[in-house]
Amino acid sequence: MAYTKTKIKDLVDGKIDRDTLHTMLSTPKDKERFQIYLEILQEQVEWDDPIILPLGPKLYIVQRKSDRKWMIRSQAGYDFCPWNENWKLHARIRVRNTAAQMEELYPRLMAPSPDWQVIREYFCPISGDLLDVEAPTPWYPVIHDFEPDIDTFYKDWLGLAVPERA
Amino acid sequence: MPLDKQTKRRVQVLGIDAGGTMTDTFFVDSDGDFVVGKSQSTPQNEALGLIASSKEGLEHWGLTLEEALSGIQTGVYSGTAMLNRVVQRKGLRTGLIVNAGMEDFHRMGRAAQAYLGFAYEDRIHLNTHYYDEPLVPRHLTRGVMERIDMSGNVVIPLREDSARTAARELIAQDVEGIVISLLHSYRNPGHERRVRDLVEEEVAAAGKTIPVFASTDYYPVRKETHRTNTTILEAFAAEPSRQTLKKITTAFKENGSKFDFRVMATHGGTISWKAKELARTIVSGPIGGVIGAKYLGEVLGYSNIACSDIGGTSFDVALITQNELTIKNDPDMARLLLSLPLVAMDSVGAGAGSFIRLDPYTKAIKLGPDSAGYRVGVCWEASGIETVTVSDCHVILGYLNPDNFLGGQVKLSRERAWNAMKEQVADPLGLSVEDAAAGVIELLDSDLRDYLRSMISGKGYSPSSFVCFSYGGAGPVHTYGYTEGLGFEDVIVPAWAAGFSAFGCAAADFEYRYDKSLDINIATDASEDLKTTQAQTLQAAWQELKERVLEEFEINGYSPDKVQLQPGFRMQYRGQLNDLEIESPIVEAQGAEDWDQLVEAFNDTYGRVYAASARSPELGYSVTGAIMRGTVPIPKPKIPKEELQGETPPEAAKLGSRKFYRHRKWVDAQLYQMERLQPGNRITGPAIIESDATTFVVPDGFETWLDGHRLFHLKEV
Repeated sequence: MAYTKTKIKDLVDGKIDRDTLHTMLSTPKDKERFQIYLEILQEQVEWDDPIILPLGPKLYIVQRKSDRKWMIRSQAGYDFCPWNENWKLHARIRVRNTAAQMEELYPRLMAPSPDWQVIREYFCPISGDLLDVEAPTPWYPVIHDFEPDIDTFYKDWLGLAVPERA
Repeated sequence: MPLDKQTKRRVQVLGIDAGGTMTDTFFVDSDGDFVVGKSQSTPQNEALGLIASSKEGLEHWGLTLEEALSGIQTGVYSGTAMLNRVVQRKGLRTGLIVNAGMEDFHRMGRAAQAYLGFAYEDRIHLNTHYYDEPLVPRHLTRGVMERIDMSGNVVIPLREDSARTAARELIAQDVEGIVISLLHSYRNPGHERRVRDLVEEEVAAAGKTIPVFASTDYYPVRKETHRTNTTILEAFAAEPSRQTLKKITTAFKENGSKFDFRVMATHGGTISWKAKELARTIVSGPIGGVIGAKYLGEVLGYSNIACSDIGGTSFDVALITQNELTIKNDPDMARLLLSLPLVAMDSVGAGAGSFIRLDPYTKAIKLGPDSAGYRVGVCWEASGIETVTVSDCHVILGYLNPDNFLGGQVKLSRERAWNAMKEQVADPLGLSVEDAAAGVIELLDSDLRDYLRSMISGKGYSPSSFVCFSYGGAGPVHTYGYTEGLGFEDVIVPAWAAGFSAFGCAAADFEYRYDKSLDINIATDASEDLKTTQAQTLQAAWQELKERVLEEFEINGYSPDKVQLQPGFRMQYRGQLNDLEIESPIVEAQGAEDWDQLVEAFNDTYGRVYAASARSPELGYSVTGAIMRGTVPIPKPKIPKEELQGETPPEAAKLGSRKFYRHRKWVDAQLYQMERLQPGNRITGPAIIESDATTFVVPDGFETWLDGHRLFHLKEV
């Protein structure tokens, strides 16, 4: 089943009507969805390097036009690192590890104890957009969330050619 | 239904089924002849569509509306307007008064309300669940301070000033109705009634007219969410319907009618539009068919009936055993849990409009769960439908006549259906279009057959002791398919299958029914004194309900001596989970010997419904509810009785032939005009019997015989 680009844009923007959403959720995914989704995302960013895969809200893997390198880039246009590395290591980081910092977010006694758990917030250095949050134990290394297998995803799942990668 | 009858008719009964798209009227004359009128619905003013539909129907008899209406004694209405109002949550601005501290329970609802009405695969798919806007928003909800516990004891006395404040605040927000629902008020209605009186005082003091609904005056039953939802419906949705029904009655009176309309209610009887509890008319269409089948069964001597109805979106099945319907006490409608007695019916989301899709990974054919509904399918160009439906398969295989759908009002294109079927189903599967379409029909038939079988055997019966009635617009198309091999005692398709719901509405009793929850628990060897006390508790509940039933009849001008009362109760073995509804063998319960009679009636019924060896009297008995039903006699449609003619159908009934595909080959099916067939005619398949609003398919290997009551009997040969 195919949906119009407008419907999928409504989905991306969180404005889709209940009935269409229900149909989307309970039927197999429409074949052309991913490409339309990418088109919509591409229209929402100010640079024109092609998006390969969205990684999260305001975070993408893109093919940099100048050198065909795949980079992890924020909506505002900051290139963190190559696509298969941990972008968080290159972001601005705030660690909440005191009770006072926790209580900015949670009521007293409902916040985690900083001895057991800290909150790490990762920001875009250009715009200050909050791109990700993790809540590990204090000593835990920065989590590398995942390294997508883009080749398999494009070739075997979508039936598309893998874009050039330098 | 001979079309050429010239004698002056006396029209007696009018049944109305006002659906979302079509309004059907069903007229019956004193000989039991009937005619069906159809017209587009007019939601802005329903009376217009009704008058148009009536005129259209009466035209077949050469009667004007005025001529017909003057003789009619009974008019029964069923419609979907109230249900739509609730589904779209577009009702009156209603205020709600609950216990202080409980103000959020209505909007939180019950978790089940997040997935009610979903197909099974969506119910287990949590992402699809969602909560509707509550009928009463939080800012129109107020709490009063009081508490009564589950045994009816006052734990916190009512703080009257909190009730007055709540009332004033709601009145200031211009509510159009105020609903009061306090915890355990079914057990001890004292506080709730006092709050009701206080609110009424405040309404009067404000110089306004706002109706006040206390749950205990309407639905004194257990379960807060159910009771509150149902009472809210009275204020939210039923009052506008009352206005609509008043308008319709006036419009008909202006055209010379002398009767008051009655409305089909969920408990299977009809009630006046003036009735206090009007919310129970929220669904009526599908019930009509079951009541019609029950009535036909009573007159013609069928006591066990499996009722089946295929419409555009669903397949509905109900069982009548020993001429009795099953009543369900907490049904759900429009994604709300309610406390209404409802004729039990099981539905599966597969109908003639169900979409057909291929699973992209397994290539399995998948039917529904969504459907094109009244928009038929790809074969109807104007529908805008792009996904093929079951109806498209019917058109491809010659089941349906594309030029005579709904009497030719909708023209269907076989070519469009064929092309879409080829592209979407046949080619990906590497099948011919015919085989793909036939595969879909076989899949649907076997799904429905399995469902019907499991429903009957799941209740401990065998199809061989049941007669299967098949009706609804699309029912007779599939009758052969879903009954094949099940071994029903008989399979019956009434010639008026499409108007069967309206017929059933006209055949329903004028009946009020009220329910009240009780908590009686007693051991088998309880003392005489204890039995007497419990009998009297039940009697007190019956008395309360009886007064309400008589009050309803009095509004319609029936004095108490005209009303036939039938008390009932719900009983279970102590500690078991399911109760049974029992018709009381005694009119009043006063002493220990009366109690013993009630217990005996319960043990008998339990043995009949389950098995005699499953009875567990050693556990003792609980009575969970009291029921009072009252009826007054009303004229009902007569069932046609015609002389049998020969077995050979008259030439005039033949309409030529059509190519029909089944079991991998095309055959020529003889076509017949349903209305021209004569009682006694026997038709061997392949044949297709067409009427304006329904098509009855008799494939090879089947034979049908039309009896003197215009019922087709279908048999495998």
